[in-house]
Amino acid sequence: MNKRIIYTLFYKENNFYLSRNFRLQKVGDISWLKSNFGFGETCNYIDELMIILVKPSPTLDDYQSYFNDVNQLRKKIFVPITLGGGIRNFDQAKNCFLNGADKLLLNTIFFNDQTVLDKISNVYGSQAITLMIDYNIDTVTKERTIYINSGTKPYDQLNKDLIFKMLKANCGEIIFNSIEQDGTGAGLDTGLLDLIDKTFSKPLLMMGGSGKPEHITNILKNDKVNGVVTANLFNFLGTGLEVSRNLAINSGVKLAKFEKINL
Amino acid sequence: MKTKKIGIIDYGLGNLASVVNALRYLKYNAEIISNSEDSKLYTHLILPGVDSFKKGMEELKKNSWDIVLKDYNKQGGKILGICLGMQLLFSSSEEEGVTEGLNFFEGICTKLKASTNYPIPHIGFNSVSHNGSGIWNGINKNCFLYFVHSFAIKNTHKKNKQAITKYGKEDFISFIEGDNIFGAQFHPEKSHVVGLKFLKNFIEED
Repeated sequence: MNKRIIYTLFYKENNFYLSRNFRLQKVGDISWLKSNFGFGETCNYIDELMIILVKPSPTLDDYQSYFNDVNQLRKKIFVPITLGGGIRNFDQAKNCFLNGADKLLLNTIFFNDQTVLDKISNVYGSQAITLMIDYNIDTVTKERTIYINSGTKPYDQLNKDLIFKMLKANCGEIIFNSIEQDGTGAGLDTGLLDLIDKTFSKPLLMMGGSGKPEHITNILKNDKVNGVVTANLFNFLGTGLEVSRNLAINSGVKLAKFEKINL
Repeated sequence: MKTKKIGIIDYGLGNLASVVNALRYLKYNAEIISNSEDSKLYTHLILPGVDSFKKGMEELKKNSWDIVLKDYNKQGGKILGICLGMQLLFSSSEEEGVTEGLNFFEGICTKLKASTNYPIPHIGFNSVSHNGSGIWNGINKNCFLYFVHSFAIKNTHKKNKQAITKYGKEDFISFIEGDNIFGAQFHPEKSHVVGLKFLKNFIEED
């Protein structure tokens, strides 16, 4: 099947951020994003866009400013958009869909109350739910531990039993996001794929560590991986995403070729 | 020339915001319509939708859309069904038991089969091998459009113009065209400039 390159923006309190090992660094507000990165043009080289509200317990005001900026951005973007961050109930999810989400990103709530996933999928379908699993790697034992609440609280060891539980959940795809690799640009955690076998029946996406076009190509070459998620803002500088996409295609990765036609 | 006005049908299922956004970017007068009695105010209707076929038909019937859409089409109004909206244009579906559809086209909607490296749901851009009719004007054959679905129509009457997409070991009908009625399993509103061109052609091409 065709693989996917998904670009991610982190958002908090009217600003966009870079993330490194889940520590945020402010880069600018929406005017800055528009004037520095030619957003609509860059989106020509991605399959999907994800905009994450990075707050463990967002207030109504947090959501309001988030939706205001999302609605400005999406006016000229015609790729699927995934929204989410801090979602704990159906009404928060519904607001994301009303504000242009094609898919919803869920994380902590999967571990705390799966009935929320059931309620959302009952209205919007399970394909509209993307489950994101944040995990860290112990530098000594190399064991992987799942973290919840925006990466602040350890939950349990990432093992085959929990992966089985994820596959049974009402979601359409699963992103594995390595806190250890996040924002380092040092390459993705391919070791995680040892935990994935043929029974993994949902699209699998990998996130954390793609700093160079070669990282994107190499992870997409793996048969177990359906897509790569990159939040490296520097991929936006110049022709970063265009180069990454073309390198992957020229290296034999099955990616959609987007035409440039006149409307 | 009659002024074009596009109604996007709100029957409680689907992401209407994206379709409205795309049409307004193209500078069309696009509005969300929930009362079927208002359909005559529009030159074109778009039936979007996600979720199950069964629920989709139940919601359409609640507001008599099943009857109104037939009359609208008979009187020359153009209809485009997107994703579940396309599936609902067919005879029936096997999703959640057998449910009868709007029956504009012959065909049964069935679940896609997963195979190695082809998980279900089918999510992402995929190639659409189209027939080059007016709605495809200016779009290359085998273009890439965005899909997100688990069910699809695998067979229909050959009299209708159609396009095929391959996923794993299966072919499914990704586009169908009848008299002033069109169905797209893909999401044109989420498919870059190619999808916008498709929407524009739906509205502009006679």
